[in-house]
Amino acid sequence: MNSRQITLLGPQGTNLFIFLIFLIFIFISWFTLYTLTEFEGLEFDVNNILTRQVVFSVASVIVFFLLTYLSIENLQNYSNILFFLAFSSLTVLLTTQPRLGVRRWFDLGPIDIQPSEFAKVIIVIFIANYLSKNFNKALLIFLISGIVLTILFQPDLGTALIISFVFLSMLLLSDLKIRYFLLIILISLFLFFLFLELGSRFDNVNIVTQYQIDRLNEFFSSDLDFSQAQSRLLISSGGLFGQYFSAENIQKVFVPVETTDFIFAAFAYNFGFFGILFLLGLWGLLISRLRRILIVSNSDFDKFVISGFISLLLFQIFINISTVVGIIPVTGLPFPLLSLGGSSMVSIAVIFGITNRIFIENNITI
Amino acid sequence: MFLNKRYNVYALFLVGLFIYIISFLFDLQVLSRETALSDIDSQTLDTFYITPPRGDILDINSERLATSSMEPHLFLNQRKINDENLEFYEQFIKYNFPELDEDDLVNLFLDRRKIQIIENISDFSATERQKLLELDAFEIFDFPIRIYNYDNLTSHVIGYVGRPTSDDFQEFPHTKQTLQVGKNGLEKYYEDTLTGTPGEIIFRGSDIIEYIPPTKGQNINISLNIDTQRVVKESLLQGIELANENEDTLDEVIRSASIVLDVSTGEIVSMVSIPDFDPNQFIDGISNQEYEKLNRIQAFNNFAIQGLYPPGSVFKVVSYWLAENEGLFPEGLNSRRGRINCEGSLSFGFDDGSQQVYQDWKEDGHGRVNLSSAMQQSCNVYFWDIALKIWRTYQGTENESILQDYARNLGFGELTNIDLPFERNGIIPDREVFEEWTITRPDLVRPEGWLGGDLMNLIIGQGAITVTPIQVANAYKTLLTSTSSSPYLNIAVSDNLKLKKYNISNELVTFLKDDLNLVTNKNGTAYAAFEVMGRKVNDIGGKTGTAQNPGEKNNTSWFVGIDSVKNPNHVIVTVVEEGGSGSAIAAPISRRIIQHLIGSDLTPVKYGEITE
Repeated sequence: MNSRQITLLGPQGTNLFIFLIFLIFIFISWFTLYTLTEFEGLEFDVNNILTRQVVFSVASVIVFFLLTYLSIENLQNYSNILFFLAFSSLTVLLTTQPRLGVRRWFDLGPIDIQPSEFAKVIIVIFIANYLSKNFNKALLIFLISGIVLTILFQPDLGTALIISFVFLSMLLLSDLKIRYFLLIILISLFLFFLFLELGSRFDNVNIVTQYQIDRLNEFFSSDLDFSQAQSRLLISSGGLFGQYFSAENIQKVFVPVETTDFIFAAFAYNFGFFGILFLLGLWGLLISRLRRILIVSNSDFDKFVISGFISLLLFQIFINISTVVGIIPVTGLPFPLLSLGGSSMVSIAVIFGITNRIFIENNITI
Repeated sequence: MFLNKRYNVYALFLVGLFIYIISFLFDLQVLSRETALSDIDSQTLDTFYITPPRGDILDINSERLATSSMEPHLFLNQRKINDENLEFYEQFIKYNFPELDEDDLVNLFLDRRKIQIIENISDFSATERQKLLELDAFEIFDFPIRIYNYDNLTSHVIGYVGRPTSDDFQEFPHTKQTLQVGKNGLEKYYEDTLTGTPGEIIFRGSDIIEYIPPTKGQNINISLNIDTQRVVKESLLQGIELANENEDTLDEVIRSASIVLDVSTGEIVSMVSIPDFDPNQFIDGISNQEYEKLNRIQAFNNFAIQGLYPPGSVFKVVSYWLAENEGLFPEGLNSRRGRINCEGSLSFGFDDGSQQVYQDWKEDGHGRVNLSSAMQQSCNVYFWDIALKIWRTYQGTENESILQDYARNLGFGELTNIDLPFERNGIIPDREVFEEWTITRPDLVRPEGWLGGDLMNLIIGQGAITVTPIQVANAYKTLLTSTSSSPYLNIAVSDNLKLKKYNISNELVTFLKDDLNLVTNKNGTAYAAFEVMGRKVNDIGGKTGTAQNPGEKNNTSWFVGIDSVKNPNHVIVTVVEEGGSGSAIAAPISRRIIQHLIGSDLTPVKYGEITE
């Protein structure tokens, strides 16, 4: 199983469905970004958003295939080391100079790396390994709380929430007794609001910035953030069929970070409600496909990894859309495989690559 | 242990989440879409632009030739007009501004989105203005009025402004935001400098939420001297009057132009083209009738840079330079001192066997002439001999067009690139031009093509050749300074002028100045015109030109003058279309201009002697 023949479509046994759907998402992202380049055109230029996304996409496809060569056994063996690396890089990140008020990126010249994007994936693998081997769950809760704290300190509320949700969902699917699970949820909720309270009491405590407090207050007072109000209008302009194919000459309102965190608004504007159904339908198709592993596989590790990925992707999409339409406050999460951004794309490519490998090892090729 | 049963419950939970989010999106995009669209409409900011005041144009003594005055104007905010109040506003405007005609009124209410200018209300009192403002749809903003302080005197140099058309949008994209654009002259050439930054009126819905005032354009300082300009124009008008009195012309003489060019810099000190027009007429809108009238007499043409005329004898400086530089003198002579005997006509045979007789303007001839006296008396025979020499020496070789090459070297046939729009370049004919014309314009040339006779015509500035007055002025400047550059008005361009050095010996320049001096002195063709200056004429120089025109048209009258032989400051070029002899009309006009330039008392333009 460790050495696989190379074919035109990647390593022998590559799951065509997963690979194709991965490419379709990438093309949708290109098309959406293309609609946002009206003044720049298709020039080759590192500052052109489409050019950048194409470069990131190529990197993602390479990463997808590289991951296919990593056997699940090895992945499981390395999971503790990977977790340690993720934990340390997130800790080191806290010592760097803040940019735009947050410590979220490693500056590597022309590109920036956002370690929390990769930490999300590694944490899923780590938890899966941990749970499948039935280690002490109290220790696991302690470790995950620790890594969530480092992310909260960046501060990056969105990623911290995602990791917490994914962790909770994986605990739910393990043999943890339901009453303990409910207790953990209660404690988490209590801690969450305690953090908010602390953040608002002491300005110098850098857990939740005043800015985020303001955001939350705005939210609870049912007033929308400016960018959310704008993106709501943009989404509404899209209508059933979108403005790209049937322009009604509606003034396109301005939405901040339209190419990254709020790209869903631009997508909805261009392709309308049917476009959204199509996009979410593709994701639904993928998730329903992933469910086969839960039925077929004999390995608990496989199942935990896949269910963790499912939670990770769906929560991220859910939180992103909820943010864009203003159901929850602005958290700053990219839409998987749609938003412009290298770290996000490559980390999702890792998910697809590992998933592909799991399918290969379970001999599911289509 | 992974519990598949729990996954099924969990999956239901996820499905629920997405059903919620999809229903939320359905509400946004379909159910409550209309509310959102009207929200977009009401939050959309629209900007309308207010024309900025243009920069001033100042002459060499900082006299304001063109300026802009901001005057309060009444504007109609069309977004406040609805079906209920439409009639009220229509009646109100009709009653209070009777000078608006029906078309203006219709236009005012045609659109429902803009802010439309109604009228200048600078003569309204403060209370009257206050009253107007009490009406919701009226706004008062300052709007620039262009003022040309010297009316007709600067019409062609300054040009004028008007409403931008689609052509202007192409040439100057910024004019989409203004109601003024330079249409001609410096106003057009320096449009980008003169125009300022438009003011902005920002609407949200029908309310004006912000007003950003416009900023004025940059001033430009030009080399023109308005006092000289006035004298030049007076002199031209006197000359035209004289020509109409004395010349027996078929048409009335109405067109003329004159240029005073600073020899050392290339600055235009004065440029007048007649007939002219009052650019202020364009501000309030010129009537079609008036416009057509001016257009018919070609008042909008600046003949100083657009008039194409055969140069006649003023062109002889080209062959003068060529003869000296190449040692090409009439057959049998080898220096400028050698003389031929001019008997008033030249007869000779060409290779094709045809016999030709060329008649000089002076029937009994100039007697024994050398290069100097040929210039002084404008003897054609001497120059024809040079042409014959060129023809016989170089015919059919690559040097055949040597005369044309010299002419082009002095800038003839090419734009001088003066900083004014619509300059024309004229033509220096040669064998190639004639060959091209036999195909494109067969009416202009004989089927035989380029012949020696054409070269003989060319050397005395006749035939197919056309030049503009500015080319003539610049060519004389080039010869006098051994340097050519583009003439200009805007002093700011003087720093990056492209200078081209010529290899013209000091000796030649001295000879040329001396010979030009002979023209205005005793026995010279222009002596009669300059006699009145007394001893001062010892330092003046010039060259007359009388160019024949095809058909019934009278000759074009030319004079090129220099205000000092010892130390030339200015080249003065005067041309009067159908003005007759250069020495009779153009020379005395130029003389009066020179009197002004050297600070002498002005004497009226007096009809000179008919020569050539």
